[in-house]
Amino acid sequence: MALLEVEDVVAGYGAGPDILTGVTVSIEEGTSYCIVGPNGAGKSTLLRAIAGFLKPRAGQITLDGVVMNGSRPDQMLAAGVCFVPQDASLFPMMTVRENLTMGGYLIDDRALLRQRMDMVYETFPILAERRAQAAGTLSGGEQQMVTLGRALMVEPRLVMIDEPSLGLAPMIADQIFEKIRGFRDLGITVVLVEQNAVKGLEAVDWGIVLDLGSKEFEGPAEGILADPRIRELYLGKAVASKDKG
Amino acid sequence: MMEHWLQILVLGLLLGGVYAMMASGLTLLFGVMRVVNLAHAAFILIAAYITYALFENLTLDPMISLVVTMPLMFGLGVGLYLLLFPRLEESPRYVEMTVLLTFGLALIVEGLLTFTFTGIFRSVRPDYAATSLTIGDIFLPTSQLYASLISFALLILLWVVLRFTKTGTAIRATMQNRAAAQIVGVNVRWISALAFGLGMSLAGAAGSLLSFMFPFFPARHWQWIALLLALIVLGGMGSIKGAVIGALLLAVASAFVTDLVGPTWSPITFYLTLFVILLVRPQGLFGAKVRL
Amino acid sequence: MAVVEESEGLVEESPIRKPGTRSRRVTLIAALALILLFPVIAIPLFDSYAYVLQIGMLMLMWIAMSSSWNILGGFAGYISLGHGVFFAIGGYTAGLALAHWGISPFLFLPIAGLAAMAVGFLAGLITLRTRGPAFIVATIAMLFLFLLWFDNWEFIGASSGIDLPLFQFPVRWLKVPFYYAMALCAIGAVGLAYRVAHSKFGLGLRAISQDETKAEVAGINTRWYKVWAFALSAFFIGVAGAIYGYSLTHLRPLTFFAIAVAARMVLMAIIGGRGTVAGPVVGAILIIGVNEFAVRQLGESALNIVFTGLILVLALLFFPQGIVGSLRKSGRLPAFLDWD
Repeated sequence: MALLEVEDVVAGYGAGPDILTGVTVSIEEGTSYCIVGPNGAGKSTLLRAIAGFLKPRAGQITLDGVVMNGSRPDQMLAAGVCFVPQDASLFPMMTVRENLTMGGYLIDDRALLRQRMDMVYETFPILAERRAQAAGTLSGGEQQMVTLGRALMVEPRLVMIDEPSLGLAPMIADQIFEKIRGFRDLGITVVLVEQNAVKGLEAVDWGIVLDLGSKEFEGPAEGILADPRIRELYLGKAVASKDKG
Repeated sequence: MMEHWLQILVLGLLLGGVYAMMASGLTLLFGVMRVVNLAHAAFILIAAYITYALFENLTLDPMISLVVTMPLMFGLGVGLYLLLFPRLEESPRYVEMTVLLTFGLALIVEGLLTFTFTGIFRSVRPDYAATSLTIGDIFLPTSQLYASLISFALLILLWVVLRFTKTGTAIRATMQNRAAAQIVGVNVRWISALAFGLGMSLAGAAGSLLSFMFPFFPARHWQWIALLLALIVLGGMGSIKGAVIGALLLAVASAFVTDLVGPTWSPITFYLTLFVILLVRPQGLFGAKVRL
Repeated sequence: MAVVEESEGLVEESPIRKPGTRSRRVTLIAALALILLFPVIAIPLFDSYAYVLQIGMLMLMWIAMSSSWNILGGFAGYISLGHGVFFAIGGYTAGLALAHWGISPFLFLPIAGLAAMAVGFLAGLITLRTRGPAFIVATIAMLFLFLLWFDNWEFIGASSGIDLPLFQFPVRWLKVPFYYAMALCAIGAVGLAYRVAHSKFGLGLRAISQDETKAEVAGINTRWYKVWAFALSAFFIGVAGAIYGYSLTHLRPLTFFAIAVAARMVLMAIIGGRGTVAGPVVGAILIIGVNEFAVRQLGESALNIVFTGLILVLALLFFPQGIVGSLRKSGRLPAFLDWD
């Protein structure tokens, strides 16, 4: 049984149109995924729907066989699904340490909390260095590491990261992708959304191409990278999606 | 001469302390839940009237009434929030809706208070309301002194709660980045309700304290809310630090203005200062730039 | 941005008549006839003639005020709780002209309106540096600043105010000129709101209310648009104030600056439908009607404002679009109410 099943999910924001028009995706434990596709395809929306920020208008989302539609974000987190959104999701006026502590908000055991934090400091040594610094004053790459480190605090089963390389210089982005590859070794299932499709697919096992709110194609990441058709259609220079108005 | 200025300064600070506590509650509500609570002063009045009733009927000292009004207002706050605000959350004009909603609440409270207590000026007159303490050449009205000390104590307590407790940290996190708080598992609706309760309990304390500092009547809350709103805009909406500093600064400034020019100019100082600040720095002293 | 693109073409009327135009024209003529002939129709009501005219005048006054407020609060989305200031300025400008120079307020109405508009322009320049909740607070501060000033200014009688001489008229017909003056004011205000709504200016205001940043980026000079909306919204409120103050024959700051004034303007626009032209009119008629009914039944008591507050809260929770807005959304807006 797959870890996470998304079946025919339809979703949209507020009273607006459907962004997701019937997505079916299956996430296997231990594999890493990258979702790519044109702007407006619904990639971020899919993550938000899974994470509990958006209630699906139709379809279901099941985790370990249990239907999770309409769960709140904190409930999804408690179930082991961690979401790292693309905009600044830090607490800018809190220190790195406080941000990480907030990452472990759901953990009541103080000793365990400290243990996890030490583990995060090991994985991201730069955070240990900057632990007393206000998160808002860190560089882009460092901030991204804080959000990743924060995700690790709950030892999630599934981490969903929206545009990890957004706004980062290529070299820093590479470092981030390194770290994300490292998540795999920790047994964490990773789902990325990446505008920089090539970099994203290089970092994962499996690729999913989304367009117009539904899955167009999926397959081994290498395969997608190698396929010239797909590259041209979806991964080439900014291809505007068919008119969405 | 020096003593005279010092006297004015002290009087200003004493008053400022109470204003600071009232303004902190109000700005907390905005910071956590983006709620502009136009009814804040009306709720302060509820507490004042409760204190009055307790004093008249049970001779309960108003400072002791805090033990009653604070938890009561806390509960009222949590209940009101859960009842009214989550429904508005989807609305795109959320902040304005909260203004109008709390405006309506203020009208309801004022009407009910007038109906129950009529428009007569009331005040609570414990023994210390008329006495004063003299330290050196500075005279401190006892009522203001007590009120101020309690206010500062409560502000420190607020700081401790926000800084060192898990719930307090969650509140601060929600203030800084609501979406991120949700992501780390904070139940923001519940935290918002708690923060509302917290802000209201501060209003409750303020009511009990104000009851013996100034005479009050139901329509009085408009003056106070206008003042408090000016204070939090001045300090930067959502910034508790700004509210405290703004309150102290303005209270001292208006004390000096009163001394130099006369009492009618005192409230004018507040509003004029507000307009000047709005011209120069619309986000207030400590506000974030265009965080609305 | 679609809204801005539309604005270019909307200045000319489409040659195809919009459905419901005839119905609207009929409504307009009927409404105007009713308003203008009302004092004549009501003559048979011997004893309560003055009272009935008074209610009519109040309804027209609030129609004028809430429609004007709506230009800023509904179209542009900037909620002001301080518009009582313009009410006062209109009242005092005309009243003082009468008291000191003997000029009838009825003749001085345009000046009263202009005075209010000028203050609105200046106040807008300052307060509109803020947005959202800070703006609302700024307007409250503005209200209190003016209240404190008027309350202490000996020249205008401070808090006790001044008396105004009244013209010689048989008591029975006393209210009639006030009624007609207010009718003109109301027609003017609604007309202004209509013109604004159907202009490029109005479209710009709506763009601002939906997404101000996008509007700026689309090239709209948001600052001027907002300030002019503020100024325009003040004009007829000033005129209404002039007429109302005269009708009371006594000017006192509290009459004009009471928060209840602002509360009602806002309430009527919200209940009726913020951002529509017909909304404030519907809201005003409804609220005044209900209020009079309540007063007749329950008597004047504090429970009245409880009632007002309760309606506001319930309206916000369940009908944030107001009557006209909700009807439009469900597609059931009768053509005679569709003035947008």
